[in-house]
Amino acid sequence: MSSTALKILRSGYVRGNSAFHHLDGRTKFLFFLWISLFNYVFYDLYFSAASFAIVLALAFACRIGKIVLTVISIVALPILILGIIILGSPLGFPPNKTPLFGIILYGHQIGLFLEGTVYVSVWSARLAITISAALLAYLTTHPSDLAAIMLKSRLPYKFAYAFLATVQLIPILTNEMTTIYQAQVSRGLNVKANLIDRMKSIVVLMIPLTLGAINQTQTRAIALESRGFSAPVKKVMLRDPRFKFADYFMFCAMGVFTATFAYLISTRGLVPFMQGVEYLLPGG
Amino acid sequence: MTSDMKSVEPTVVARPAGFAILQVVLIPVIAALNYVTGVVINLLKLPLFMDTWATMFGTVVAGLWVGIGGGFLYNIVMAFTLWGLPAWVWGFINVYIAVITWVLWRVGWVSIKQPAKLILAGIIIGVTNVFPVTLINVFIFGALPTYAGTAWIYAIILNQTGSTISAVIGSSIAAEIPDKLLSLIIAAIVASRMPARYTLRRPSPK
Repeated sequence: MSSTALKILRSGYVRGNSAFHHLDGRTKFLFFLWISLFNYVFYDLYFSAASFAIVLALAFACRIGKIVLTVISIVALPILILGIIILGSPLGFPPNKTPLFGIILYGHQIGLFLEGTVYVSVWSARLAITISAALLAYLTTHPSDLAAIMLKSRLPYKFAYAFLATVQLIPILTNEMTTIYQAQVSRGLNVKANLIDRMKSIVVLMIPLTLGAINQTQTRAIALESRGFSAPVKKVMLRDPRFKFADYFMFCAMGVFTATFAYLISTRGLVPFMQGVEYLLPGG
Repeated sequence: MTSDMKSVEPTVVARPAGFAILQVVLIPVIAALNYVTGVVINLLKLPLFMDTWATMFGTVVAGLWVGIGGGFLYNIVMAFTLWGLPAWVWGFINVYIAVITWVLWRVGWVSIKQPAKLILAGIIIGVTNVFPVTLINVFIFGALPTYAGTAWIYAIILNQTGSTISAVIGSSIAAEIPDKLLSLIIAAIVASRMPARYTLRRPSPK
């Protein structure tokens, strides 16, 4: 999981010329919030599947489809499989009533129930959609734009710095970690030892890494100060993000769909398309 | 010849120059250290998360706000890159851990000189952390089994009680207590090896 996250942090912005790339970062972030929110409101597998298909299509159009699928296969897919095995089977999930299929083996019922399977699928789909939408917003926004929209959104300058610095620091520290790890292994660190010894190994890896990182903060602080980081003046950015026609079009589309969803909720409830499935609260 | 002996007082720097900027620079370091520990855990193939130890470490060496900032920022970055929107709420767990670590540090329990208190502090953090973890697991992840390492505990408790919330609590207890205990021990050990010139706060009151 961490190596995939590292690849994402290292690659950062994925260049492209798609319509989604040209949207303002704030519009992308709003889309990410909007689609995630509605998927948490509706309890409908068809709705979630359609939303996921849209986000995935956008991801492929922006040439980040493979990254999105890799992350989902690492994060959401195991939850889906584990959840269906445990909550979909006759292990005790209270709402389970309608068998999807089942056999009796040596007196034990084995199979899946509709309620548990749909519950797990809906929640996993929600996760998959929010992950995809977040990656879509993050990987198609240039880091300079990201900092500029944070400032335009009236977030403190220090927060914008801290966010971008973290994204940059993670690959640097991971590289240092790899060097320290190789040095310690060459000095006899046994990574195939028993559990207790491997736990002790954390200390010999973390101390040099942490002290090195803390040591560098002094230099970084001096460098920032020399550039007037805490000077009491208004900060200006190289890029000045502005809404364009495509952004207003996207807002209109989201507005129209929001009205449609509100109409669906008022007429059909929170399970508008799946017949024979009841709304389940979190936890079942 | 007489000379007036001027009494020389030691230089006391109550708030060193650039203190605020050092704190700001430390926040991303704490966030990145939380992340890199995940890499270490992968390398050592340990059944733990350990992504809060740097929050505890930051709280001890640089103050509550650095711990809170670093811990929360780690979750924000992960929410944007890998975990998706709901994961940002895990940031509140880091805030909680920073606060409780700060309280326990203030009473002198986060110190390798007092191992019994340190272990007790780790267990307290692990046990009390189960409640916010359960809340987030239920409302954001639908009380699904999200961690393969404790899924069997989840399945057994669900089978016995018929309650997903009990299953989440049970599996959280199994995961959180060893994880937070080890995290606190490592934070205390690394903090004890820190040269005093890099520590951004006064020594523990006890």
